[in-house]
Amino acid sequence: MLKNALLTLLSLVIAIGGGGGSVWYALKAQDGVGAIRIGQWTAFPDIGTPAADPYSKARVAREGVLALGRAEGLSFVAERDAGGGELKRECTYTIEGGFPTARFWTLYAADQSLGVVETGKSRPAALQSYGVVRQPDNLVIISASDHPMPGNWLLTGGFGRMYFVLTFYDTPIASSTGLSDVSLPRILKVGCNA
Amino acid sequence: MRSSYAAMRKLLHAVLLGLVGAGIVHIVVLLLVPEFSERDAWSRLSMASDLYRMTRLDAEAGGAPVVKSVDPLFYATACRFDLGEGVVRIKAPGHVPFWSVSVYDRSGHNIYSFNDHTANDGVLDAVVLTPAQMIDVRKDLPEDLQGAIFVEAPIEEGIFVIRTFVPDDSWKPIVSSFLEKSSCELQDF
Repeated sequence: MLKNALLTLLSLVIAIGGGGGSVWYALKAQDGVGAIRIGQWTAFPDIGTPAADPYSKARVAREGVLALGRAEGLSFVAERDAGGGELKRECTYTIEGGFPTARFWTLYAADQSLGVVETGKSRPAALQSYGVVRQPDNLVIISASDHPMPGNWLLTGGFGRMYFVLTFYDTPIASSTGLSDVSLPRILKVGCNA
Repeated sequence: MRSSYAAMRKLLHAVLLGLVGAGIVHIVVLLLVPEFSERDAWSRLSMASDLYRMTRLDAEAGGAPVVKSVDPLFYATACRFDLGEGVVRIKAPGHVPFWSVSVYDRSGHNIYSFNDHTANDGVLDAVVLTPAQMIDVRKDLPEDLQGAIFVEAPIEEGIFVIRTFVPDDSWKPIVSSFLEKSSCELQDF
């Protein structure tokens, strides 16, 4: 009798613990259902729309996100460089390449919660397309570093994991058909402070 | 020997039953999270301010941001509305480099969005209403609503968000005052 009760208890613990835990884990993972990958960049075009999958919906509700609409823009997040290594705040990176059509774009260095990194300096850890120097062939080369760099300098700083968030505003690529042949800039690691 | 074999079978049975149950619990919890979340955008905004009250979402206005407004080069403001009480009109005078707005339903799904290129002369003047209210308004369109953008939303409670681009520090006061002057109010017909 006691053995049966214990077995029932075991089943219940596995069911409730496993079920609840797996939902919690799935909502914490950065990668998810409905992601679109272009190079190192990931976007969730469906997040925050009524057409989103249940995992995105639960994440929106839990984190209180108000996602950008299609007519507003589309965000891409990068967590690794072209070599496959995780982005670090103490390292210097070069972000170079062409950018897809948009009215303008913004790029910033983010922490785990995708908020802008705190550098303690008055210069924001963000760049925007009206304020960058372009190459003759319209490519853009950006240096992300914690010390001043020539050309386009994206200020970073501190230690730990870092993400780059690249958002295009008023862009045709936000419509689902436009995403097929978009190319985004590459992220190359230059070196790290010891 | 036989009894320990039976016990193992019972244990295996219990574990398998638990795993199947875990699958069911996973699905149920996942579908219930949006229903019972107290951390969604609506709940956070309702703790910060009333209906039809514009609330800044960025940290610039002092204090921690109410709802995480992601882009550091953007300012944003939001108001909650209830179409059950009537038609809501959102206005913001003046011009800024870029603005975009989104209408969200109660659970934070983006229902409709547009930006300053859509608007008449780049001025933000929008009316949010239900399809039924739209029929009433169409019968006799008031003079001062001629230039407004009508957003037909099949919802009752919702959130209206205005986002504005701040290209550099010199734009901060201009963009701030644009958002401060924005209004969100019930409109009578």
